[in-house]
Amino acid sequence: MNGRFRAMLRLFAVQGTWNYERMLGVGMGYAAEPLLEDLKAVDPVRHGEAVARSAEFFNCNPNLAGLALGATTRAEYEAVPGPQIVRLRTALCSPLGAMGDELFWAGLVPSLVGAALIGVVLGAGWWAIAGFLLTYNAIRLWTSYWSLSVGIESGMRVGSAIGASWLPKAIERVSPAAAFAVGAAIPLVAAWYLKTFGWSAGIGAAGVAMAGIALTRWFAPFLTTVRFALAAMIFLLILRRVGV
Amino acid sequence: MSELSPHLVVPLVLWGTLVGLDLVSVPQAMISRPLVAGTVAGWLAGDVHAGLRIGVVFELFALDVLPVGAVRYPDYGPATVAAVALGAGLPWQLGLGLSSALGLVLALLGGWTLQLVRRSNARAIQRRSAALAAGASSAIRKLQYGGLLRDAARGLILTLLGVLLAGAIREHVRLDEQTQLALTLVAIGSGLAAAANGAFRSTGRSARFKWLAAGAGAGVLLGALT
Repeated sequence: MNGRFRAMLRLFAVQGTWNYERMLGVGMGYAAEPLLEDLKAVDPVRHGEAVARSAEFFNCNPNLAGLALGATTRAEYEAVPGPQIVRLRTALCSPLGAMGDELFWAGLVPSLVGAALIGVVLGAGWWAIAGFLLTYNAIRLWTSYWSLSVGIESGMRVGSAIGASWLPKAIERVSPAAAFAVGAAIPLVAAWYLKTFGWSAGIGAAGVAMAGIALTRWFAPFLTTVRFALAAMIFLLILRRVGV
Repeated sequence: MSELSPHLVVPLVLWGTLVGLDLVSVPQAMISRPLVAGTVAGWLAGDVHAGLRIGVVFELFALDVLPVGAVRYPDYGPATVAAVALGAGLPWQLGLGLSSALGLVLALLGGWTLQLVRRSNARAIQRRSAALAAGASSAIRKLQYGGLLRDAARGLILTLLGVLLAGAIREHVRLDEQTQLALTLVAIGSGLAAAANGAFRSTGRSARFKWLAAGAGAGVLLGALT
């Protein structure tokens, strides 16, 4: 197994030591270890410094962390001054976080979850779930490979490589897909559950949903939807207890 | 699940542990999505249908979560597994409400335990700060394995607690049919509110809102046709 492949595998655990001080830092150091191995033989002092830098504070979307990992590793081999590498890492945090979150958490995941929910409601069952898992993980695996490769190939010029890549266009396209899929899934799921109960129960559940939307907006951030649901259940149990 | 037999509890707890790890630590393959976690838990408990129904309700709640930066959120994975342990074998119309109540409490508890693990990781890093500053790869490896172990323990304890509570509730809590149905409707309504909130928040008043509205229209139409 070569260093690049081992580093890619380790990137799947990049959040394994997530904390509020270094965030992904230690996970990045763990993923960097196989890539920095060759530096040990060439320049042991530089290797020690590079390992220490690799585990410092870092935060971004985990699926795009390979871009920063590859770029900083290449910079270490090119003997770029340490402070410049630290600046590169820091500069990459925000764009990789924003782009990755927009692409994965606000785009791809809701799109695929929405599609899977529609599939389940329409009777696809396991196939819908398998389709969701396979599609997401295929895209993610490819993105991880691409990120690490582009990072290693571009080094300190990784910013322009990201700008010229498919990422900005993909974000533009996946956002409407996510909105459409979730928009379609919500009424379908509602009908899937409520058609067995009849009209009056359906109106009751719709009333709970409306109250939930309104109250969690008025009393945000204290009243989350989970707290609303639990409060509504407790209220219901009290009403039933007193015989309403 | 009629009783807490080890051949049911062990696979559920192992699955809950994997699901707990998947949320943040490794491998983030989306097995922690309630839809997946619930359906597999249902299969393990011998009632895929209940797993799917419970998984979908928790998936609606999970659509309200945007896990960006250092945001705090409930952990729906082990919570869904425990909810399925409670609801499996019951008609879903009766079991869904009480299962959701248990699952939502566990999801909040799960979110809190995530903070404990993160603080514990930070303390472990502080203890090894000298080795990290010296560039010791062995210190990084130990910290990483320690972090993964802590998160695995978190998922295991959370799921075990949930499955034990599910067994206790099945044994001791008796609700009339009307109350169970009403709880189910509250769970469904709240889940729909959560999903709608998440959708409104991520679309705002931008062009994406038009796509959301178009999707909702398509969903209503498809629902009417099927």
